[in-house]
Amino acid sequence: MAERTAPSRRFLPGDPRVSEPYRLTPQLALRVAVLGFLALALFAVLFLRLWALQILSGQRYLAQANDNRVRTLRLEAPRGPIVDRNGLVVVTNTPGTRVELWPSDLPKTWQARLAELRRLAAVTGVATKDIVAALAKHGNDPLTPVVVQRGIKQQQIYYLLEHQVQFPGVHLGDSFLRKYPYQSLAAQVLGYVGQISPEDYKALKKKGYQASDSIGQSGIERAYDTYLRGKDGTAQLTVDSRGRPKTAAVPRLTPTPGETLRLTLDIKLQRAAERALKYGIGLARLSSEGAYADGGTIVALDPRNGDVLAMASNPTYKPSLFAGRKDLKKLAPLLNPKVAKADNYPALNRATQVTYPPGSTFKPVTAIAAMQAHLVTPNTPLLCSPSYSAYGQTFHNWTPLINQWIDLRTALAMSCDTYFYRLGDDFFKLPSDRGHLLQGWANRLGLGETTGLDIGGEIPGLIPTPEWRCKQFGGPPCQGYVDRIWKPGYSIQLAIGQGDVLVTPLQMARFYALIANGGKLVTPHLAEDVEQSGSSGQPLRVLRQFGAQPPESANVDPAALQYVQLGLEEATHAPFGTSSGVFGNFKYDIAGKTGSAEKFVHIKGLPNAIKLNQSWWCGYGPFDKPTIVVCAVIENGGHGGSAAAPAALKVFEQYFHTTATTTAKPSD
Amino acid sequence: MGIEVVDPRARGLRPRREVQAVGVAGVLRRLDWLLMGALVSVTAYGLWAIDGITRHDAGGSSLSHQVLFAVAGAVVFTGALFVDPERYRRMWRPIYFGTLGIMVLVLVAGAATRGSKRWIDVGFFKFQPSEFGKVLFILVLAGFLAERRNAMQSARTPLAAIGFGLLPILLVFVQPDIGTALVYTAAMAAVLFVAGIRWSHLAVLATLATGIALAVLWVLPAAGVNVLKPYQAQRLTGFTHPDNDPRGATYNLRQSIITVGAGGLRGRGVGGATQTGLDYIPEHATDFAFASLAEERGFFGASILLLLYLLIVWRALKIVAGARDLYSAIVAGGIAFMFLFQVFVNTAMTMGAAPITGIPLPFVSVGGSSLITNFLALGVLQAIHVRRPVRRRG
Repeated sequence: MAERTAPSRRFLPGDPRVSEPYRLTPQLALRVAVLGFLALALFAVLFLRLWALQILSGQRYLAQANDNRVRTLRLEAPRGPIVDRNGLVVVTNTPGTRVELWPSDLPKTWQARLAELRRLAAVTGVATKDIVAALAKHGNDPLTPVVVQRGIKQQQIYYLLEHQVQFPGVHLGDSFLRKYPYQSLAAQVLGYVGQISPEDYKALKKKGYQASDSIGQSGIERAYDTYLRGKDGTAQLTVDSRGRPKTAAVPRLTPTPGETLRLTLDIKLQRAAERALKYGIGLARLSSEGAYADGGTIVALDPRNGDVLAMASNPTYKPSLFAGRKDLKKLAPLLNPKVAKADNYPALNRATQVTYPPGSTFKPVTAIAAMQAHLVTPNTPLLCSPSYSAYGQTFHNWTPLINQWIDLRTALAMSCDTYFYRLGDDFFKLPSDRGHLLQGWANRLGLGETTGLDIGGEIPGLIPTPEWRCKQFGGPPCQGYVDRIWKPGYSIQLAIGQGDVLVTPLQMARFYALIANGGKLVTPHLAEDVEQSGSSGQPLRVLRQFGAQPPESANVDPAALQYVQLGLEEATHAPFGTSSGVFGNFKYDIAGKTGSAEKFVHIKGLPNAIKLNQSWWCGYGPFDKPTIVVCAVIENGGHGGSAAAPAALKVFEQYFHTTATTTAKPSD
Repeated sequence: MGIEVVDPRARGLRPRREVQAVGVAGVLRRLDWLLMGALVSVTAYGLWAIDGITRHDAGGSSLSHQVLFAVAGAVVFTGALFVDPERYRRMWRPIYFGTLGIMVLVLVAGAATRGSKRWIDVGFFKFQPSEFGKVLFILVLAGFLAERRNAMQSARTPLAAIGFGLLPILLVFVQPDIGTALVYTAAMAAVLFVAGIRWSHLAVLATLATGIALAVLWVLPAAGVNVLKPYQAQRLTGFTHPDNDPRGATYNLRQSIITVGAGGLRGRGVGGATQTGLDYIPEHATDFAFASLAEERGFFGASILLLLYLLIVWRALKIVAGARDLYSAIVAGGIAFMFLFQVFVNTAMTMGAAPITGIPLPFVSVGGSSLITNFLALGVLQAIHVRRPVRRRG
């Protein structure tokens, strides 16, 4: 470069060849100044904004950044086991794995999200549209995980873990599935567990329930959910923007297992009752009158305190269908109304959720009411004729082969309809200022209203009154309309438990418990107490006793009640008794009443509803110191003595650990 | 310097002048050392920042890459230093058509990434012509305007300049690369401004630009004509209501604001910057680098970078004022404003104060084309500065 020093020293402005040396014009100076101010202004904006975000709102954004990355996972608490009165485990848990979706971590674009859900659907077997629906159900709330499935197979778990990259937002968590060692036993009573419905969630949100919670959906599981559910724990982990976990989950709160619920049910008696039902239905089908028998229920109560010892309902189902992988085809009879109808509603607890006309099992109500109203004394003989005519109508006895004067005990034992028709007519003829005494007594004796069973879900049934009739047929006004008027025939029919009267089998069992215990209404209940869950073998500490509510006296004259008791005992022992052929030879003294209640039913394959007998038997034993009441109904089973009574006997056999020889004979 | 090819059209505008060679010693003596210091500092700072920002990325830190590009940039800078801007002035036509040619080539043979064709793959390096084009564009327009410096008051001059400028802008726009197209437009505006066109013309042009922007973003879509694709329009206008659709269109924006804000005064450090490390902030190595820097280094760290930028802009404006001739002044002004525009739009974008556009953060964002172009731009500035007129002593 040395040789070029000479020219390089000369810089341009001095060059004589430049005719017009350039100068900084005032105009350019102004514009440079404008640019300078613009630059200062823009940088001022930047600094102010930076200050506002980082210094003024820094803490808020820091919190949001942490919300972004920290996921609080739920550690499910094992649900408490359910044991029977003797401590036999009826419902317990089996460990499973749940698949959960975090909406916030799913792909942001709709196509990618749908593609992932499709992949997940293919792996889990849950339909894509169901997953989408589940997401939508929770309002697409980004921070509430949606449980896609509980209880996936080991292979599926491995697949999801190996392909985690393809499944952002999918988490696997430990879960517990309900396990039923006795399979379908007491299915309707126990109920099942499932994901909380939006309606329940709305109602229970304040109690700390979460949208992804499982909750008891019916029966015991629902009624005692608070005790059984335990308290979930939490763990936290850090995820990246695509929801992929970056750290192991750190437990923050250990889950508290649910408490043990002890039932009043005796699971062995329950099993006997369910077998007895099947036996009774089969028995009914052998006879022509019970050919359409297709269901029924048996309730067993302790008349002293209302403990429900057994509550069987047929047809039934396996609650395990609701645990883990759901097979929609198998669940259809429980969820799809059409299929349910075809399968005769297996989900219904027929002891509390179905009403039947009580038929002759209602006669003790009429007897008590008539004695209390002084319409009859126990020893007043009335004519038990083949038929009773009044008001231009003829009411027939169940058998025409009788025509003699009998007292109340015999009337109950023989189940004479015409005897009770006369009483019904007497009730009708009572002056209106005395009220509707028969209906009033029916209510006092616990019929036509819910019993207060702790699992709820009961329907009240109906004891028809003139007021009800008027209202039912469009009144008031009641006068001048044929339909709305209470006719004498209604009272006469009601006296034998026919007509519009509807009761649940549990109501009847409770009423017979009242007969057995000397006039006290018990409150039936299924839960005995809540106990601390311990590892197996430990003595469990009782945390809360539910126990029996003290029975309430119905203020029945003990003498009147005694005649009814004697009548029921005669019914099972006297030669003319309606179920003496069943119970006559039984080692223990059983008292009880048959019933054959006519009901219009729709039978599959027949065009119109036909009148079929609902087979009833209600009774108790031992006679002098009753400890068990049994009420059995065989739907469309024909006469009480031929289906329901033999079924009830099976329950007594299990209860007293003995067997009996029976002789079938026609009855009412 | 051998035989000069004299463009006949240039005759009469300006007397012929020998290109002056400037020796190494002269260059060193006359360099703007403050600007040099700023350049070295901002480069080093940018490398340090990007190392922290990309450390948790899948491919590891981009530092080594960037260092290579910075070295290449230094070479380009040194080269630019020794080229008299006068050469660019004379060669504005070949530069113009060369630039256009390469841009067309990008559209024809470019490598598409995420639906946009911006790069030419030359094996070891993905070359982005539109980045280098930023500086060339300024050189071309300045050359054109310097030729017509006596007709600057006429309306035809700015119109002709805009006519020239519009072609490359459109070529970038259709890649599509709205951000770079905006940078070109801003540079064009600055060049016209510094060249000295009338204030009234400037006012008309500003009104016109505002009108076009409104038409493209609001009026025409309302009438059913979509110049921009919906997602582009959403990104441009989303910053006015960032909470509208937090999981959709404005997700990036929201996350970016959270990222900046979470940094606080001192920053969360490389290990604690969850927004960056766990990928909540998209494109944190490139377009949203400022947000990540702000998260990791806090208000202090971000401010240092902004102050370095301010220093560069200030020195660039000084160079405009002291330029040897109108051409140099226009070039320096164009570069100064382009730099200011990029810094502002990029950083304001990450803070929710400007539309989201794909503009890299000078000297920080990962990307060779951008880094080398910035070195080139400052090289041209220094080249102008070392050739500034000075009073001889004595």
